[in-house]
Amino acid sequence: MSTAANMVEIRNVSRAFGQSVAVDNANLTLQRGDFLTIVGPSGCGKTTLLRMIAGFDEPSRGEILINGQNVASVPAYQRSIGMVFQKLALFPHMTAFENVAFPLRMRRFNPALIPELVDRYLSLVKLDHLAARRPHQLSGGQQQRVAIARALSFSPDLLLLDEPLSALDKKLREEMQLEFRRIQQELGVTTINVTHDQREALVMSDHMIVMDEGVVQQSNTPREIYNRPGNRFVAGFLGVTSMFKGRVSAIQDGLLSVDMGGVTMTARGNDALFSIGDAIDCAVRAEQITLLEEGAQARENTVTGLVRQRIFEGDRMVYEVRVEDMNDSSLYVFDHNPGKHGEHDVDTTVRLGWNAESFYAFPVVK
Amino acid sequence: MSLIPSKKWVLWSLVSFSLVTLSLPTIIIIGASFTSGDIIQFPPDGFSLRWYERLWELDDFKDAFLRTFQVSLICTVVAIPVGTLAALATVRYRMRFQQTIQVYLLLPFTIPLVVSGIAMMILFGEIRILGQLWPVGIALCLINLPFMIWSVSSTVNGLDPELENAAHSCGAPPVQTFFAVTLPAVMPGIITGALLMFILAFNEFLVSLFLTDARTVTLPVQIYNSIRSVITPDLAAVSVVYILVALLAVWLLDRLVGLDIFLKSR
Ligand SMILES: Nc1ncnc2c1ncn2[C@@H]1O[C@H](COP(=O)(O)OP(=O)(O)O)[C@@H](O)[C@H]1O
Ligand SMILES: [Mg+2]
Repeated sequence: MSTAANMVEIRNVSRAFGQSVAVDNANLTLQRGDFLTIVGPSGCGKTTLLRMIAGFDEPSRGEILINGQNVASVPAYQRSIGMVFQKLALFPHMTAFENVAFPLRMRRFNPALIPELVDRYLSLVKLDHLAARRPHQLSGGQQQRVAIARALSFSPDLLLLDEPLSALDKKLREEMQLEFRRIQQELGVTTINVTHDQREALVMSDHMIVMDEGVVQQSNTPREIYNRPGNRFVAGFLGVTSMFKGRVSAIQDGLLSVDMGGVTMTARGNDALFSIGDAIDCAVRAEQITLLEEGAQARENTVTGLVRQRIFEGDRMVYEVRVEDMNDSSLYVFDHNPGKHGEHDVDTTVRLGWNAESFYAFPVVK
Repeated sequence: MSLIPSKKWVLWSLVSFSLVTLSLPTIIIIGASFTSGDIIQFPPDGFSLRWYERLWELDDFKDAFLRTFQVSLICTVVAIPVGTLAALATVRYRMRFQQTIQVYLLLPFTIPLVVSGIAMMILFGEIRILGQLWPVGIALCLINLPFMIWSVSSTVNGLDPELENAAHSCGAPPVQTFFAVTLPAVMPGIITGALLMFILAFNEFLVSLFLTDARTVTLPVQIYNSIRSVITPDLAAVSVVYILVALLAVWLLDRLVGLDIFLKSR
């Protein structure tokens, strides 16, 4: 086995189906042992990208390197890649044990060692007691675990996960996310996970890529992407985000003065992208907005608005507030301790504030 | 699931009624076959196995039974590979002949058996294979093959489309994938289809009538010939043999595939 620094390297890869481009000039590098999550809305090309890495499909352009080797001419069954499929694709005629043993048999492991290996991986996913069951005799979560053990039992260079958790209910899904993370860290296997669930992406990964319409929008650590969204799409996709239209009235040191249609606010943005008079989009996350109590000190951006809707979510209260001074736009704000602050009724006036640091400015995309 | 009492009552009556009407002919025939009298009647006149003994002594019937068995076997053995590959080709591999096969699947409903029978009689006569047993098997395979294809396709449709890719990612090359994964995964459909083909061939009358003669007569045709002379309880005994063959098929199906697969909507 070679020891190239990068386990996976994707260079300018595109894949077109007829006229439609499913993946458009994608680039990424993934280091050995890393956990990468590709997140994006349904239909943005995640599966297409994953299938090309697995070898089920070929790029129209560009190249894919695994372990430093260009894999263009390597068929799927000769790549050292374990995959957990969206609908699992367990072998229905085999028991859990046989499913996990299958890759070992196909890859000519010493037959004497196979039972021990299968046991080890079934224990890893806590399923050793159900080894004799067929897939249809197992629950959804248990089938999931068989699929994981099958993908891992032959110690692949790379593990690919294509939204394997999307079919599970919320509680089980969150349990399995942590389970995946535990197993991945225990084995240190390089992993690419694909999901449309932003929470999953943020929770599970070392590294994260946001995709939309076949294009990689941003690539960085989850924390960095969440806190510094690179464009309007990323800002809107992650978290509960409110968007506003505005016009630049002054620029200074990465801070923009923005005319919001009644008030002037301060937003954060890359100087080079803007000039005075530009129409821009501004975004703020719900958790960055503070409900200001009477007499509280104003923030860098402070407005008053009318409560339109109040949504009780158990651990928090969500308010939808309409702000006349911002072109009548609506924004969402959380109150994580409604008991302490008292509730605001619909149609009452509230004062809201947030810092320039968390008010992102983006050029309007045509 | 709990039902409103009146609804439950209606449901139960319907089910019982269907069960009785469906099984009544069978019960009557089985009863009649044990009669000790000389005519078919129900309730039977006393109890005896004399008509089964007589059936055993009738070489015509015994030979016809064996021939039917052979014909059905030929039909099934040909149908298994042909039907399986055709089904996989249409649903799995999106082959070129997809349209042709789809049309073929509708044939049992569009072409009357008389037409198929006469057509094949003429064709087989032309190429001088009439009067042998194996062409009958092939003919029955030809007319019933859509059932085999259906049976396999329905299993294939239930499979995860990524099954083969999953096998590849486990390191299985295409040939191994086919034999170790695809084929076993569709096996329930193949077994079901094969038993169906066997039973259909075992019962087939009209086409066999055109294609057999005195030396190659099969059981259904033999029965037809004998009711034209005189109806005796040995015919009821033959019917019971038929019922036994069908039961055997269902039993086999249960052993090999598990009936729960068919009774459960998966
Ligand atoms: N085999 C195919 N033929 C034609 N179009 C395809 C095919 N596979 C995917 N696409 C298209 O490519 C786009 C991306 O699909 P996909 O990669 O499955 O998205 P995702 O996995 O992110 O939901 C979609 O618009 C889809 O319709
Ligand atoms: Mg997908």
